[in-house]
Amino acid sequence: MLDKIKYSLKHLTVGRVIIYIFLTLGAIVMFFPFYWMITGAFKTYFEVTAFPPVWWPSSFNLDNFVTAFNMAPFMTYFKNSVIAMVGSVGLCTFTTILASFAFSKLKFPGQHIIFGLLLGLMMVPFEMIIITNYRTIIDIKIYNTIFALIIPFTSSIFYTYILKGFFDSIPDSLYQAARVDGCSNWKYLWRIMVPIARPSLVTIILLNAIASWNSFMWPMLAVVDKDLRTLPFGLYAFVSEGGAETQLMMAASTIIVVPMIILFLFARKQIVNGVARGGLKG
Amino acid sequence: MKITIDHLTKDFGSTIAVNDFSAVIESGELIALLGPSGCGKSTMLNMISGILPSSTGKIFFDEDDVTDVTPEKRGVGLVFQNYALYPHMTVLENIAFPLEIKKVKKEEREAKAKEMAKLVHVDMLLDRKPKQLSGGQQQRVAIARALIKNPRVLLLDEPLSNLDARLRIEMREEIRRIQQETQVTTIFVTHDQEEAMSISDHIVLMKDGFLQQVARPQELYDEPANCFVADFLGNPPINKTYGVVQNGAIVLDGGCVVELDAAKNLKEGHKVILSMRAESIVIDEGIKNAEGTVVETYVMGKEVLAYVSLGDYKVRAYIPAEKSFGKGQKVTVGLKKRGVFVFDAETGERLA
Ligand SMILES: Nc1ncnc2c1ncn2[C@@H]1O[C@H](COP(=O)(O)OP(=O)(O)OP(=O)(O)O)[C@@H](O)[C@H]1O
Ligand SMILES: [Mg+2]
Repeated sequence: MLDKIKYSLKHLTVGRVIIYIFLTLGAIVMFFPFYWMITGAFKTYFEVTAFPPVWWPSSFNLDNFVTAFNMAPFMTYFKNSVIAMVGSVGLCTFTTILASFAFSKLKFPGQHIIFGLLLGLMMVPFEMIIITNYRTIIDIKIYNTIFALIIPFTSSIFYTYILKGFFDSIPDSLYQAARVDGCSNWKYLWRIMVPIARPSLVTIILLNAIASWNSFMWPMLAVVDKDLRTLPFGLYAFVSEGGAETQLMMAASTIIVVPMIILFLFARKQIVNGVARGGLKG
Repeated sequence: MKITIDHLTKDFGSTIAVNDFSAVIESGELIALLGPSGCGKSTMLNMISGILPSSTGKIFFDEDDVTDVTPEKRGVGLVFQNYALYPHMTVLENIAFPLEIKKVKKEEREAKAKEMAKLVHVDMLLDRKPKQLSGGQQQRVAIARALIKNPRVLLLDEPLSNLDARLRIEMREEIRRIQQETQVTTIFVTHDQEEAMSISDHIVLMKDGFLQQVARPQELYDEPANCFVADFLGNPPINKTYGVVQNGAIVLDGGCVVELDAAKNLKEGHKVILSMRAESIVIDEGIKNAEGTVVETYVMGKEVLAYVSLGDYKVRAYIPAEKSFGKGQKVTVGLKKRGVFVFDAETGERLA
């Protein structure tokens, strides 16, 4: 322990001090809204609106949460969010695996052109796709159903691109070995490729889950029924419809964010690993 | 199982990796497929395993035509140059994998895998991942995986090239032992002549996709079919000189006359290559085929390596350590019967 401190002190140069100061400032800036939200959830109305601001709530009780839950059906929102997330992430992961395998390991005519076109489509901003997706869900009659929150997100070029990159790094000799061992393409994919690609897959699933959990614009357009709302949309409605007080808003926001924070804390290593490391290390 | 390769060709478009290749490999033999890098050895092996379709020609296992049979149905075991072990599985799971695919019950396949592991001496490593193994251990696991389904043929693609010299010798003896215990017909790819010599029953030598010669190791060395085979085998490399047949002797470039019984039957004016192994050249020992000059000598301990000039060429010869020659000394050069070959200068075909 002492050695460690000595070691770090020895390497403490001016440049490093500056870097640490910046990193610390950055961390504070990032952390502050969360701090404000979470403490706000426990404050009384007077504490939240007081000036100069009150930094620490006078007591930690769950009154605000109870009130918020009574004012809007957050449990329903929560359930919808989970269904939409599990449904879209599950299906999307499945199609991503299949597409990545096809583009990476199979040979078919037009392979490179098709993949190039798909990559080109990534340039189209989401806001533009919303319009066509909106028309589509009306045409196939899933507007204002839970499926409207799932179907448009069952494939992803971006994640396919990432996973294909990883699959590319798996040597062909493994595929040939598996063939000689008697493996079919299908078995090879699920028994060899997918387990090897697990770190990448976990990353993809987590990023996708976070994106799905936080998505706001699409659920607002695709459903109108109150009991189909997801959490972010529900929170927005809670604020705009009820004219809710700030401390209740903070409580509701905390409810939404906490699951993701927990997920992130558990999977932090996986996310960073997956993003930082594309290839397969021998 | 006997393997018959019948006029097999693989055309990649840009290169013809294997060209009109015919050979028969007898059941239970260990064959070394030898040749320089890029000559089509891996391509050959991949066609036998079925990973790569052939362009034309046929492959028979015993009497069965397997040319269009997919790899999983050919019943071959293949060991890749980089071993290609499944990185997420333990040694035991790796070895048992071919049986898992065949839906053999878990206890049964694990029992069999342990048996295989014992055969290749990795039975104390069963719970490790491939990453935690040395190159030699990985290789033995790969061999066990290839052997577990009782393949009709075992194919090994330069399995020893990643190993250090000592391990390499150990492992090739190991492969020989395993092959003799299991009696599986084995093709062993290598570009190392010494490895091929020491391990195999027969050597199949190829170059640029063409078969050069199939022979027992000693025979390949003693009776090369053409100039390439003679060049390829032997350390130090064979002494290669060019010349013309004149009056029943060979006149090398630079005017040195080499009297040779074998040259008596050759056509006057024929352009030839005279190749002589270093150990087949004797100096000042009463046999006289030509006259030369000692250019340089290197003391090697048990013998002396001498460079002797014959016409424009400097040839290597071993001479006994107790003799000494000075630089520039004129000597008589004798050629033994064994290890001296004459080839056609154009085609490289053996003439004598
Ligand atoms: N997929 C391919 N497409 C085109 N050419 C190929 C392909 N695979 C191999 N070749 C060519 O075929 C020839 C033989 O290749 P091969 O891999 O069989 O050589 P090798 O004898 O195994 O060499 P090494 O000892 O280096 O492994 C080479 O010239 C190579 O460039
Ligand atoms: Mg090769």
